[in-house]
Amino acid sequence: MSRRWLIDNQGLFFMAPAMILFVVFVLYPIFYIFNASLYDWDGVNEAVFIGLQNYIEMFTDDRSFALSIRNSLYWTFLTIFPQMFLGFILAHTLTSGIPLQNVFRIIFFMPAIVSPVVLGIIWQRIYAPFGGLLADVGLETGARFLIQPYLADPKIAIFSTIFVNVWQWTGFSMLMYVAGLQGLPGEVLSAAEVDGAGALQRIVYIVLPLLRHVHLTLILLGVIGALQTFALVYMLTKGGPNHATEMLPTYIFQKAFTLQSMGYASAVAVVLLLIALGASIFQVRALGSRFTIGG
Amino acid sequence: MYKKVFCVAILLLILAAVAPVFAQDDVVVRFRSWSPVIATTNAMIEAFNAENPDITIEPDITNYPEYLVDLQTMAAGGSLPDLIGLEPGALTQQYRDHLMPMQNCAVSTWGEDWEDQFFPVGIEQARLGNPEGDDNIYGLPVLVQTINMWYTVPVYEEAGLEPPATYDELKEQADMFNAQGIAPVMIGAGDGWIRRDVYMQLIHNVAPGLIYEAEDGMASFTDEPFVEAMTWWQRLFDDGIFQMGALGMSHYPAAVEQIQAGRAAMFPMGAWWMQQAGNPDPPPLDENLSGYAPFKFPDVTGMGAPEDLLGGIDVMLGVTRDSANPDAACKVITDFISGAGAQALINTYNDLPAYIGLRPAAFGSENQEAVWDLFTEDWLASVQYARQLKSPDVKQALEDALAAVAAGEMTPAEGMQLVQDANSM
Repeated sequence: MSRRWLIDNQGLFFMAPAMILFVVFVLYPIFYIFNASLYDWDGVNEAVFIGLQNYIEMFTDDRSFALSIRNSLYWTFLTIFPQMFLGFILAHTLTSGIPLQNVFRIIFFMPAIVSPVVLGIIWQRIYAPFGGLLADVGLETGARFLIQPYLADPKIAIFSTIFVNVWQWTGFSMLMYVAGLQGLPGEVLSAAEVDGAGALQRIVYIVLPLLRHVHLTLILLGVIGALQTFALVYMLTKGGPNHATEMLPTYIFQKAFTLQSMGYASAVAVVLLLIALGASIFQVRALGSRFTIGG
Repeated sequence: MYKKVFCVAILLLILAAVAPVFAQDDVVVRFRSWSPVIATTNAMIEAFNAENPDITIEPDITNYPEYLVDLQTMAAGGSLPDLIGLEPGALTQQYRDHLMPMQNCAVSTWGEDWEDQFFPVGIEQARLGNPEGDDNIYGLPVLVQTINMWYTVPVYEEAGLEPPATYDELKEQADMFNAQGIAPVMIGAGDGWIRRDVYMQLIHNVAPGLIYEAEDGMASFTDEPFVEAMTWWQRLFDDGIFQMGALGMSHYPAAVEQIQAGRAAMFPMGAWWMQQAGNPDPPPLDENLSGYAPFKFPDVTGMGAPEDLLGGIDVMLGVTRDSANPDAACKVITDFISGAGAQALINTYNDLPAYIGLRPAAFGSENQEAVWDLFTEDWLASVQYARQLKSPDVKQALEDALAAVAAGEMTPAEGMQLVQDANSM
């Protein structure tokens, strides 16, 4: 290894630490999980090679997996866009100079910094039809429509769970839009006003397009969040009733550790990885890659 | 000056190097479990160390889901601790190859007739799921339990009632309590284990022992008694016996909070409910267990409730094959079962001792003592059947089926077909 070679390839040495970390903490686990997915394995004892059997079962005879995929789609679309919509409205209102706007920003952002575990416990009490907050309010005020089996009815449990997630993260979307709005060029908005554009027109034709990088960032983070959702669902419903709120991470946990099927759980994890990869590529291809953190 | 600093630094380095040599007198036993809780475990260790100062116990107590993850990770990495907490059945069987048989440890501590010194349920279930011909015991039971019903004493005193003995009485009382805004039977049916516990009591009433035959393939889960028990489960929801929205509530902590607030007339739980009295700053009903009393699940068949109860091991402890100090680990386990550590454990009323004859140092009320005596002198000796099932897949399928039937997504027959399918896999 000559001195010349070292000089010519010095970039490799700068890259090496990052590459080593990438291989050890990203590539190796992916390979490990993929390998495990080809076995019937309880995670502790000897594994038996079964080829693609786990995948075949998953796609042909696993209602819980199908529900997890359905719920992930619900979660993606029903959290990202409502959060963006509500977050933008809040941000726009709280950058318009209303009194105490900084205080309101803090209040709306607070749920985002609370642990999902705590939120799960709190919202289970809010939703409980017996002794829960909504039920007690319903009883006291006569608004009995509030007394519903929000988490007990498989038809609505997923939406009740998604609602909590939207409630928690709308403040984060608001903060991102506040940062974005504060970075908008004032002269462009003034010019539009001089040209006679109304308030709504300025929002639709000037503000929202200029905030494109914030939209993309929120979509990216939203998709990642949807695919990673675990703690809130686990605390609220444990994926029930009868898997009605199951998400891929909760299903992986159940299979791997409760049902001692690490091989099968690994197969589900591989599918989750592929979905995440596909979603990321689609976003970059279809929406561009001009993401931002904080405007 | 620099010379002095240099000398001090060298001295410190030498001390640091030789410290472990001096410390080697202490044998270290690493203990990992989800139960007992850390405060109780520390009290047990303190009691143990008062008599065995040469053994250091390093506990690591986490909640159950986290414990399962940790255990699997440590097993894969070959770094299991000396002592691990176990549940009978699937969990013990999963780690069987990593565990030492415990008979020699038991014989050396309690003698050849050691099994007679335990409640039978503890010994039988310690072997649950062992392959045929393997009579080893891979974990020794520390705490055992029954599963049963409890009622809230002040609620019943105010209503001037006795707890129900039949389904008709249960329904009649449920209607009355519902009208008063009190949950007749408070259940956090969002948790699979409590759904299963109730079903196990129902099928035990309908056809005692049949479910274990079905597990072994000698009966089918689609047989009529299983469907009948599932139908009774459905009726508990449809007839308003369980509180509204039960399926969306966790048993711990959501349902328990309602129970402690006196908003429940009855609730399914087990002998471990006695531990409420050992919590710091207990609410009035929990204090000295003054507000609760146990009773057997009402007879749903009309043929009479079974005399015996279902029960099992709450927690058992095993020594891993990789343990560097198996003798010390044995000493710790046996102390936690029948020695000073066990007494410290029992003093918290955590659950019932697997070892016969232990008793809390003090009772706070007559009711608490009466409940203890009922469990240990009457009920526990009559436990014949296990609360647990062998296969995690069958357990999960049963829990799913119970949720599906309660939610109206499946008929009882369809639900039991789901269980049978899981058992046939």
